[in-house]
Amino acid sequence: MKKYFILAAIIAVAFTSCKKETIVTEHDGEATVQFDAKVNNNDFVLNQNITIGARTYNFKNLRYWVSNVALVQANGTEVSVPNSYFLLEETNAVTVQDGAYTYPASKRENVVVKNIPQADYKAIKFSIGVDARHNDNLSLQAGELSQLSGMTNVSWMWHTSYIFSTLQGTVSDGVSTKNFKAETGLNTNYKTVTLNFPEAVKINSAKSTNLIFGLDIAKVLQNIDLITNPNVGAAQASIMTTLADNYAGAFSVQLVK
Amino acid sequence: MKRQLIILLLLPACFAACRKTDTSRGPVPVPQEVPAFFPTPAANIDNPLTQEGIELGRRLFYDKRLSGLNQLSCASCHHPDLAFTDGVALSQIGASGLPLHRNAPALFNMAWNSNGFFWDGGSTNLESQAFAPLTSPDEMHQNLFQLIDELKAVPDYVRRFEEAFSDGEISTGNIARALAQFQRTLVSAGSRYDRYRRREEASLNAQELQGLQLVQQRCASCHDGELFTDNKYHNNGIDADFSNEDAEGIYQGRFRVTRNPADLGKFRTASLRNLLFTAPYMHDGRFATLQEVLDHYDHGVKESTTLDPQMRQRAGQAGIPLDNNEKQAIIKYLATLTDTAFARNPRFAAP
Ligand code: HEC
Ligand code: HEC
Repeated sequence: MKKYFILAAIIAVAFTSCKKETIVTEHDGEATVQFDAKVNNNDFVLNQNITIGARTYNFKNLRYWVSNVALVQANGTEVSVPNSYFLLEETNAVTVQDGAYTYPASKRENVVVKNIPQADYKAIKFSIGVDARHNDNLSLQAGELSQLSGMTNVSWMWHTSYIFSTLQGTVSDGVSTKNFKAETGLNTNYKTVTLNFPEAVKINSAKSTNLIFGLDIAKVLQNIDLITNPNVGAAQASIMTTLADNYAGAFSVQLVK
Repeated sequence: MKRQLIILLLLPACFAACRKTDTSRGPVPVPQEVPAFFPTPAANIDNPLTQEGIELGRRLFYDKRLSGLNQLSCASCHHPDLAFTDGVALSQIGASGLPLHRNAPALFNMAWNSNGFFWDGGSTNLESQAFAPLTSPDEMHQNLFQLIDELKAVPDYVRRFEEAFSDGEISTGNIARALAQFQRTLVSAGSRYDRYRRREEASLNAQELQGLQLVQQRCASCHDGELFTDNKYHNNGIDADFSNEDAEGIYQGRFRVTRNPADLGKFRTASLRNLLFTAPYMHDGRFATLQEVLDHYDHGVKESTTLDPQMRQRAGQAGIPLDNNEKQAIIKYLATLTDTAFARNPRFAAP
């Protein structure tokens, strides 16, 4: 009998050592996280004249990395989403590498997060851009990170790293019209955002959860004069920092259900 | 009894189930070579050297498939017999045919550099650096999607990527990792000076020893230690005006990366090793000979606000005074830093 007991123990050990690879938690939930680009209270659209204050914009693209997403439980525990490097965008076709190839037009504002441990969740945390470890080493390529999507490019290659965000189009003040390109990047401009839900939401396998966040482009462009400075990039360091700060403050909770 | 047997049979099955996830026999690790008297190499946790990775990197380094028109390999601008330089001031063999803005630097002892690659440090590590020449229209102008397809069509590469990397993928990340591994093995420490330093060979002659002393006194604050570079950024007085913002600040030195005015006109100290192979000199190849370089340090140094204090060795004035006799001694000594075995090493040569 004792022998059986030892055997059973060995088997138990053998199986638990396997277990790492096969977590099947019955009650894990799923959530669709949406980043809804807006201009004030209207939808953000490409290729149409949109008025913000005294300026008329016509946007050609909006693209940005959302990374290191974590959901915060009511008790404060943070559940981080593995490999979370997502390219959010609303863009016309993008010419990559000076025309070597074209990245197709695309609209992507949803991220589906699976295997969320069942619990009550009160907040979400995420960052805009790419963390220093991955930004400094282009070969690491976690999640959707890639050199192929045009979010690293030759003009950034003097400091081989990712473009954290890009917003492009034309801007007019009624007198002059400028093509503009407003980009952020560099490790110091990596910004983390925490958004508290109006009330905690239960996430489990019983239903799919929707988390909808707004990104207000009017806030993104606050205090940025794209007529005077139609190019915002590394060479306009302080404007670029303002822009990165603006992104961090431009997200809001729209719906948690 | 039967029951016991079933349990026993079960055991290997569940152990086997576990084993599947152990990588059965991965690539063979290779330690970073560290010559005597060299400092500890820069940490390299994300891309450990392996036999398979290094060999794959060597093949990629010499493969013209890595350029858009399949006309250029990395070695087209980094020749092994010239310590991986190209012998010209500003290359114009890139896809666009336009002259590059900078001189192709030598590639050796890069495993010790943790302070940025390129003359201005615009790339944090070798894994990121490779994407610059690969994608630049003035260099290889390679469509990266196409490159992956081209390499996937070669069975030898398919096998080598499988053997070298745990995910076995032919991906841009693994291409960069393999190239970086090969380049970290480019260690140069086999010059006459090194053999003298390790007491493997009789002394340097009197003139060479005089040169060694002069370099230690007047140059070693930047051309430091056994690497003969501190891998830091200094303004060594070859220009005085850094207001030209063209080409995204290419003429402004380190400032281009940091945007800090204190970094205007600073470039990374080049090593003094293998100089007989690496002419012309400086980030734009402006000096053809070592004589010209020493003439610059002696009486050509230009004053500017960011000029390094070590460049004012002439009683506080710009310049490092050197008479003809001293210049000759320095040139003779610098010649002892030539590592012919490195330039001819079959491990680094085209496959
Ligand atoms: C058309 C010529 C050309 C080609 C092809 C080329 N390089 Fe270079 N390489 C250069 C030049 C010029 C620089 C200096 C650029 C700068 O500092 O701004 C350089 C710099 C480097 C450096 C930085 C060294 C240091 O110490 O700072 C490395 C490493 C390097 N190249 C590796 C490669 C690899 C790997 C390839 C192939 C994928 C390659 N090069 C292809 C011209 C070339
Ligand atoms: C203040 C720091 C400093 C001092 C002191 C200094 N150098 Fe340099 N040296 C540099 C830097 C920085 C570069 C690269 C500059 C550039 O390319 O724009 C360089 C480049 C060189 C080069 C060109 C190497 C190449 O491959 O292009 C040689 C040769 C050289 N120095 C020799 C000397 C000698 C000999 C002395 C002493 C008489 C000396 N240096 C003193 C900082 C220094």
